[in-house]
Amino acid sequence: MEMEKDMLLNMYRKMQEIRIFETRVTELFAEGKIPGFVHSYLGEEAVAVGTCSNLKNTDYITSTHRGHGHLIAKGGQLNEMMAELYGKATGYCKGKGGSMHIADVDLGILGANGIVGGGFTIAAGAGLASKIQKKDDVTVCFFGDGASNQTTFHEGINLASVWDLPVVFVCENNMYGISLSQEKHQKIKDVSDRAVAYGIPGVTVDGNDVVAVYEAIKEAVKRARNGEGPSLIECKTYRHRGHFEGDPTNYRPDEEVQQWKAKEPIGRFRKKLLEMEVCEENELKAIDEEVADQVEKAVKFAEESPDPAVEEAVQDVYTDMIEEVWS
Amino acid sequence: MASIGIIANPASGRDIRRLVAYGTVIDNQEKINIVERLILGALAVNVDHIYIMPDSYGLGDQAICKLRHKIDTHRVSVLDMPIDGTQKDSGNAAAMMESIGVKVLITMGGDGTNRAVTKGSMKIPLIPISTGTNNVFPQFIEGTVAGLVAGLMAKNPELHKGVEKHKKLDIFKNDQLVEHALVDAVTSKEMFIGSRAIWDLENVSEVFLTRAQPHNIGLSALGGSLDPLDPLDPEGLRLTLGKGGGTVLAPIAPGLIRKVPIAKSSRMVPGTKITICKTPGIIALDGEREVEIGRRDTASITLNPEGPKVVNLKKVMELSTANNLMIYDKELIQWQ
Amino acid sequence: MAKMTCAEAIREALRQEMERDDRVFILGEDVGQFGGCFGVTGDLFSQYGEERVRDTPISETAIVGAAVGAAAVGMRPVAELMFNDFVTVSMDQVVNQAAKMRYMFGGKATVPMTLRMPYGGGISAAAQHSQSLEAWMTHVPGVKVVMPSTPEDYAGLLITSIRDENPVMFFENKVLYGMEGEVPETIEPLPFGKARIHREGDDVTVVALGGMVPQAMAAAEALAGDGISVEVLDPRTLVPLDVEAIKASVAKTNRLVVVHEAVKRSGFGAEIAAIVADECFDDLDAPIKRVGALNVPIPFNPILEQYVVPNADRIAKAIREIV
Repeated sequence: MEMEKDMLLNMYRKMQEIRIFETRVTELFAEGKIPGFVHSYLGEEAVAVGTCSNLKNTDYITSTHRGHGHLIAKGGQLNEMMAELYGKATGYCKGKGGSMHIADVDLGILGANGIVGGGFTIAAGAGLASKIQKKDDVTVCFFGDGASNQTTFHEGINLASVWDLPVVFVCENNMYGISLSQEKHQKIKDVSDRAVAYGIPGVTVDGNDVVAVYEAIKEAVKRARNGEGPSLIECKTYRHRGHFEGDPTNYRPDEEVQQWKAKEPIGRFRKKLLEMEVCEENELKAIDEEVADQVEKAVKFAEESPDPAVEEAVQDVYTDMIEEVWS
Repeated sequence: MASIGIIANPASGRDIRRLVAYGTVIDNQEKINIVERLILGALAVNVDHIYIMPDSYGLGDQAICKLRHKIDTHRVSVLDMPIDGTQKDSGNAAAMMESIGVKVLITMGGDGTNRAVTKGSMKIPLIPISTGTNNVFPQFIEGTVAGLVAGLMAKNPELHKGVEKHKKLDIFKNDQLVEHALVDAVTSKEMFIGSRAIWDLENVSEVFLTRAQPHNIGLSALGGSLDPLDPLDPEGLRLTLGKGGGTVLAPIAPGLIRKVPIAKSSRMVPGTKITICKTPGIIALDGEREVEIGRRDTASITLNPEGPKVVNLKKVMELSTANNLMIYDKELIQWQ
Repeated sequence: MAKMTCAEAIREALRQEMERDDRVFILGEDVGQFGGCFGVTGDLFSQYGEERVRDTPISETAIVGAAVGAAAVGMRPVAELMFNDFVTVSMDQVVNQAAKMRYMFGGKATVPMTLRMPYGGGISAAAQHSQSLEAWMTHVPGVKVVMPSTPEDYAGLLITSIRDENPVMFFENKVLYGMEGEVPETIEPLPFGKARIHREGDDVTVVALGGMVPQAMAAAEALAGDGISVEVLDPRTLVPLDVEAIKASVAKTNRLVVVHEAVKRSGFGAEIAAIVADECFDDLDAPIKRVGALNVPIPFNPILEQYVVPNADRIAKAIREIV
């Protein structure tokens, strides 16, 4: 398909937002400024951006524990995201969710999820709501190869397929479930093979090629909006960092990491944009600088933001019943 | 040593054409089954050795592992070579098999897989089994029979009379040979290789074909009903898409039947270089976007008669019958 | 007022709420044409069709999870689990998703879903279809827990549950499904956190949950003949809990017996007993007694089942021990 320059550059920008944001996050985490767990999205940028470039504001996504990239791609603001990682009152979740639970329902982001495979059934439910309400919104469910072994994978996709729900299941196959390589956690290599069991299309694409991801998701989204039901798109990719920041990654060989880093999505895309003369190098440089500046502002915003007041701990358990938490 | 090779593409049959068309779904478990049947067929006629390309999924290893409990598999092995999970593996494996002296090579994939294989070796006769999406070059052949034929050919040089030489299309970028196509090459205004497959003819300007048979699927079908061309015919076909001519109804991909306007059709003569004018763009080969042509690049296409060697199964089996290769003690059978 | 069974009252509440609010829909196993395992959804399928009365595959995780997802984006799902025992299959969806979504997202999400679950023994359904798991739910901040005992309360509290902006675990007693009572023609929502005193008394307070309310009433009736005046209090909702009503009753009677069908160990009775011990110590003239099922799985044999599960006699015995 022919793609507009604006769109291509926007995809580049979004990938850089994720790359630079996540790079800063790993540094800040190492400096002890970010508490808790951080699961870095570095290396997988093309999946989130290629996917979400097909979505409108009212479409939904369910994300994963490795969710920063999905949120940025779906329109999450860096300030609020960084503040949330810091646990600050100005964060997306007022500091109560953190890295694993950032959400903005107004942007259609139904949350990162600390439970592996937590998104399948929620995505089916969101898709069900769109179907009942006769809206043309679609829900994208991001998940990893590891999650494809959870019970929710089966129940969620089965429900979505039997009811023809407008859901696109996007597998980020980064070849590891935490420390366990794919060959040790499932007999199959292509998660898309499982689609046939649900009577839906299954497609595998190069998850480090943002255009390839974009094209496949575009078709799956079109199908979903058209009432034809869900699809399963598998994007082969690789996480540059470990499962979490601090992971010694003693379970994967360095040369494998180097091979995948050579295939990393942003450099590849940048090279193509220049080779195909979509834009000039200085245009890309300007984007890089703008994004870097934006990320630094987000860090500053987070650092200068206040911690939540302790009273915040008892808010939002319910929409009401504030008193009950004391008894 | 009378050996045969197997190159099975673990990635075939799962690209975007399951979404944009109605592409066949063959999962890797089925590919393992086919590899098993190939092995059983070839071993039944006492082939000396079977070499299998390694792949990240382990199609060969798994097939051997499954057969191990039933038969002696020491004559079957997976090549010791590094792999990177791309189509380059197929070419490298083919080159390695050529150097080992493999007599017949069975491929499993679609047109794209065979293109990748022939980049590594053009000398070994191929038995292409279709497990891909667009399957013009390969055919739906039962693995057991393919294994038998390959085994018989490895042991009986006279059967190589049943091998035919096909054509190919050579693709030059800035006067360097960069790729070839076995069935079709297509120029498109698209800018990216992306999800590889080509299904939207809106952006396609020209189609070059080594063959055009009315029963073909894919872009070669465009020529099939217009100006049929046998794979063994020395010429090629060049179609310019667009208004100003007639319209052809053709199955351009599985389940996708389109009316395509053809402005111009002409035969291609072997060896003549045809310059591609429209840049930037993409050249898709055998159904997959493959070569990116930048604004400052030049590109051209040439029909080359020195293409891959392909086994004509029917011919080989007729020869084998004539030589009584599948019958022992024929005289003991009572003829009525 | 109309006379109906608890099952009919629940159905009527569903009907009136579906009529009033087109965001309300039902999903669960066999809730459609079949009418529900216990016949609760009955003819709603023929009235509202398969779009709003949705038969699901046998996938408890998907039932609850889909309800969470649909609720989070603006619907009001009422999910039915065939037996509350099956919530264990979908526990992640309740505990980690439904209950925590709002909190984790800093108040940005609302999950207005109702999960209806039949509980309790009495029908020889054996160990995996007879449990009473309400205490499990009360231990999870983020969900509300409702456990009525009369047709009117089932109806009114179900309306409130559906309209509530939070996930509500709605426990329905299988034996009570067939119990009749008066229900208003137009069902009005009843407030959460308001206990109902079924019988006033002076000597002892019996806090009875759900299916144990009629048993407590029978015990009270039996003891009345011996001059023991029993007050029977039904909290109706466990989260939120009407602590004030319990305290007021204990302040009057100075004695407390807590009864539930769930196993006694770590049952919700322990929570009530602890609250009263903590906050009404000076009012108490006797130790608090807890009556619950024996700490065993529910057996299949009817005689064994009756032996394991509390009843009026056992409640009466507990009362006599402290009066």
